[in-house]
Amino acid sequence: MEVIVYISLGLMLVFAVMAVMLHSITKSAIALAAASVALGIVLYELGSVWAALFEISVCSGLVTVVMISAVSLSHERKTELQKVYNDKKRMSFLPVILIVGGLVLAGVAIWSKFTLPGAGETAAGSSFREILWNQRQADIWGQMIVIVAGSAAVSIMFKERD
Amino acid sequence: MGVFGFENILLLVGFLSILAGCYCLIRTFHILKIAIGIEVAMKAVTLFLALAGYVNGKIDLTQTFIITSIVIEVVVTVVSAGIAINLYHKYGSMDIRNLRKLKG
Repeated sequence: MEVIVYISLGLMLVFAVMAVMLHSITKSAIALAAASVALGIVLYELGSVWAALFEISVCSGLVTVVMISAVSLSHERKTELQKVYNDKKRMSFLPVILIVGGLVLAGVAIWSKFTLPGAGETAAGSSFREILWNQRQADIWGQMIVIVAGSAAVSIMFKERD
Repeated sequence: MGVFGFENILLLVGFLSILAGCYCLIRTFHILKIAIGIEVAMKAVTLFLALAGYVNGKIDLTQTFIITSIVIEVVVTVVSAGIAINLYHKYGSMDIRNLRKLKG
């Protein structure tokens, strides 16, 4: 299990960095989808099966479709993009920052001998379904309100103007 | 389980993902790239929630939180894509600096 998690974590980080650093938005969106798939595998291995399902179907699928649709509805040329945003130069320091950040965090962890408590016993009793529908009903209402608010915002933004 | 145990590696990767997402938010002016930066940081949040559930043994409870965060993440992305398209139709680019020209 741990080997799969380590490989997926590495892939997730690489694809996340690619999503940030790549100049083309389409390629960034595809790299983000790949990072979502890698995260989905990690979630599955950690036991969050439903969360993995949502991560892969929604974050990897729907978000990529939304991003690519937004790109296809605009026609910014690549050369103009590069000239205006200068993203290649702006993002070039990211790998250095990540390496330094990783070393600092590892140093702090070694210095403070930081360890999380080990994996606990799986709480017996309520299943995911019972928790979602019985204990966390407020979350479902919140999700519905957020979805309705988002769809209302998008429909207002695309309203035909005279 | 030492300092470089399984959980600590997960934490480290999560922090690095947040760093990458925040760097993207700071350094770019393209609105879709900003949405991608938010997505990258949210991936780390999802990872932290799953790790919390794994450590506590309450994975079913944290799954509900993860699903809520995924729904919010998607709505944020959809709204920012809508803003991006509107911005493009109005100003011909997706540069967020154009938002300063809006009235109100």
